[in-house]
Amino acid sequence: MTSIVLSPPDRNEILRYMGTPPEQADVGLLSVVDICSAQMLSAIRPRWTYRLSPVRFEDAGIRLDSGLLLPGRSLKTHLAGCDRVVVLCATLGAQADTLIRQAECSDMLRALTLDCCASALVEQLCDRAELYLNTQFPGCHSPFRFSPGYGDLPLEVNTTLLDWLDAPRTIGLCATSSHLLTPRKSVTALLGLSDHPVETHKRSCPGCPAYDGCQYRKSGGHCGIS
Amino acid sequence: MEFHELLRGDRPVLLDGGMGTMLQGKGLKPGEFPELAALEHPDWLFDIHRAYVDAGSQIINTNTFGANREKLARMGKTVDEVVSVSVSVARKAADAKALVALDIGPIGQLLEPTGTLPFEQAVDIFKEIVSAGVSAGVDLVFIETMTDLQEARAALLAAKEVCDLPVMVTMTYEERGRTFLGHSPAAAALTLEGMGADAIGVNCSLGPREMPPLAGELLKWSTLPIILKPNAGLPAPDGSGYDITAREFAQSLAQLTEMGVKLFGGCCGTTPEYISLLRQELDGRAVANVARSVPAAVCSPTAVIPVDRVRVIGERINPTGKKLMKEALRRKDVDFMLGQALAQTQAGADILDVNVGLPDIDEVQMMVRTVKALQGITDAPLQIDSTDPAVLEQALRVYCGKAIVNSVNGEQAVLERILPLVKKYGGAVVGLTLDENGIPKTAEERLSIARRILDAALGHGIRKEDVYIDCLTLTASAEQKGAYQTLLALRMVKEQLGLKTVLGVSNISFGLPSRPIVNQNFLTMAMVYGLDLPIINPNVEAMMAAVRSYHLLMNVDTDAREFIVAYADTPSAAPAPASGTRPLDEIVRAGLKGEAPAATRALLEGGTAPMDIINAILVPALDAVGADFEAGHSFLPQLIQSAGAAQAAFEVLRAHMSADKTTTEQGRTIVLATVKGDIHDIGKNIVKVLLENYGYTVIDLGKDVPPEVVVQAVKEHGASLVGLSALMTTTLKSMEETISLLRRENLPCKVMVGGAVLTEDYALRIGADFYARDAKQGVDVARRVFHS
Repeated sequence: MTSIVLSPPDRNEILRYMGTPPEQADVGLLSVVDICSAQMLSAIRPRWTYRLSPVRFEDAGIRLDSGLLLPGRSLKTHLAGCDRVVVLCATLGAQADTLIRQAECSDMLRALTLDCCASALVEQLCDRAELYLNTQFPGCHSPFRFSPGYGDLPLEVNTTLLDWLDAPRTIGLCATSSHLLTPRKSVTALLGLSDHPVETHKRSCPGCPAYDGCQYRKSGGHCGIS
Repeated sequence: MEFHELLRGDRPVLLDGGMGTMLQGKGLKPGEFPELAALEHPDWLFDIHRAYVDAGSQIINTNTFGANREKLARMGKTVDEVVSVSVSVARKAADAKALVALDIGPIGQLLEPTGTLPFEQAVDIFKEIVSAGVSAGVDLVFIETMTDLQEARAALLAAKEVCDLPVMVTMTYEERGRTFLGHSPAAAALTLEGMGADAIGVNCSLGPREMPPLAGELLKWSTLPIILKPNAGLPAPDGSGYDITAREFAQSLAQLTEMGVKLFGGCCGTTPEYISLLRQELDGRAVANVARSVPAAVCSPTAVIPVDRVRVIGERINPTGKKLMKEALRRKDVDFMLGQALAQTQAGADILDVNVGLPDIDEVQMMVRTVKALQGITDAPLQIDSTDPAVLEQALRVYCGKAIVNSVNGEQAVLERILPLVKKYGGAVVGLTLDENGIPKTAEERLSIARRILDAALGHGIRKEDVYIDCLTLTASAEQKGAYQTLLALRMVKEQLGLKTVLGVSNISFGLPSRPIVNQNFLTMAMVYGLDLPIINPNVEAMMAAVRSYHLLMNVDTDAREFIVAYADTPSAAPAPASGTRPLDEIVRAGLKGEAPAATRALLEGGTAPMDIINAILVPALDAVGADFEAGHSFLPQLIQSAGAAQAAFEVLRAHMSADKTTTEQGRTIVLATVKGDIHDIGKNIVKVLLENYGYTVIDLGKDVPPEVVVQAVKEHGASLVGLSALMTTTLKSMEETISLLRRENLPCKVMVGGAVLTEDYALRIGADFYARDAKQGVDVARRVFHS
């Protein structure tokens, strides 16, 4: 898979993840963020992989050509108008987890900052993977990336999707027995493809699976992802 | 022909090639499970195996790569039914012309600490496969495509504990020469040879052209036959195949007989054609007989430390004489030890001694937890320090790498008890030059015990390079003549036995004034007399300075590079912390962690009582920060910074308070856990720091904690409050189960819950008493519970 080189993550995005309005961050905090960004960026080993499948809309959900069923209504609605889907997964590698664990032993602020830097970086990795995919499927239209855990698409599909992508072997990404991704800073996502313009469901608060419990929304803010 | 017979002589041995590619060629669809081929398409499988045998493979692998219970359960099959049929198809195809190896790949879930699968569970999963393979009559076991050395260890241990068959182990590496988890071929070689593998190597990974550096590392760090089973080149960028031809594959791989590589085969993308060409290229070639000897070394999965110069063993993880560590051990708080570990490695320790022995704790359980936690945060190899063989054994089982066992002595019974463990788990061992008659006075007598220890170790099959002798430091104030005998013994052990030496240094000065001076000088003298592994406190700069100076003056530190790095930038006068100028409450509110200890000490010296500092200064300051946070005037980073400053003040207070005073915390105990199935625990860890700042005793059970462990901890510590966190909607179920188990057990504790996806409504619905939106509210809940 084409390897993706990441850039330093966006400061404001990290600050938002840390629960701090960027305009209220002082010089000390900004310098912690910059140092942690650089440390995280040099520690990680970003990797990703993907596979393309035609999709069949069935009553119970979306069927991939391998026979795998992605159950529920949310994904069906989301992929309306798409005839193919790219299943992609990406990880920063175990080194991100180790760095955060180390910081937790001595300095929680660094730990929190590193954690948020890693979140921003894995998001960036997916964005860049998507840009690359745009070049591979020119002229295609896509709704936003949809991940297990959104809407009624269960996390259980993580395990089968990773198997199908051969992700444990090719990029070292596995799921736990409760279907969470390890290394922790990782993503699985589905990107619908269509030759015709599709309704680009913009990610918005009311449509967000984290709506009920969202800490940003609760404090009157926004996560910054749109 | 049997495996060891096949390996005899200088002929290269030919393995088989790819299986997945071949099955797809036969019609296996993407997404279908290749492991089921034996049941659904035995004819395909037979043809593939037979094609490899016809191509010249001398060992073929069964089609059982993912035939473990975790994967097979998803297909509704058992290990026994899949393995037995797979072996019998391979056996039939081999037709007595090739050996049949039971193929074992990774389980597909990551082990602790990156994942959640416990080591012993992995061993158990592998044992089931090996048992099935042995019953079906395989000739050997082939563990392959491992990216985690710990998982390779689990599989090897399983094989060794189930059968006596030969075991080959190969791992897969990235272009920079490490596995996905950062594990090195050198560490794999040291560890797997130590644990009794019969051949080791590389499979999958890259193409044959990328093999030489990996093979070189394996040849350097092991004496075992080396296996190379690479892919058919590097994958083409468009995913269409691999970048070299079968002929190129065979030619570049076969050349590596010249390096001394013994076994050859192919992995992804290779076919019988590749193997057949490889046969042609290998015919007429002999495996070069290169001299191989592995130097004394220990390792973690990510770092190999050869004992080719003075290597510092940090002594701080040991409760002897350390009140705070004893308290931490009784609370089962491993974080304290992790902090000690990082401080020591930052100061320059190469290896860390780990001793968690206290009379009133479960030492086995604590040692296992500590070793696992330490390996999650440090690359430094560990020295397992205990007098209890059960503790040593359990620690060695879970330790990933080559550890040092501390210790044996010249007593026969001790040697017989401990040396088999050292051998089984592939450790190095410290031999103390004492026996049932005590510590001999003279150097000659200590040398003679050292010789006895060496002979016993060799008798158990332990390499000479893995025996480190401790000539024992006696206290100079009590036995002044002893110091020189220790030095003499060091030299004799070094010169006459050729062994590496280890010595606890600080004992020398016990009872004397100015101990650091004595320690530093004795350390320097000992190094001159041949000490390789001083056990010291690396946080004492004078001790590290002695080691660095020694390396400089003995021309070990070429061009004084390390010395210059360590000292060139030392500021002549460090900017003095503004101690005394800023009051402690202001320091806490501003989150100035570095200034907090000095200000706290100043208050104590001025006569302020520790409890007054807590109640009148720290708590109000934290309250003020908390109120600002709640009002939206400050944010999570400030809250954490203030907590960090208060924590630094608390550490000074704890060290100051006498043992009975700290019992004021009794009855204010809180158990915290991230629930079963959930691995996101940073929020819980922030809550912990804050609660500790308010003087609560926090029992942190970590992440992925089963309900019964929470119940057990509440009972054991008499906790009045339990805090549970869950980040994922799927794990809210375990949160509910944990609460209902606490209720069923009728425990008189309150439960607070928190986590990104939780809401107050939901919290109350699943039976929690309180919902805490953030760390600050967690503290508010604790206050309500404990003040009501």
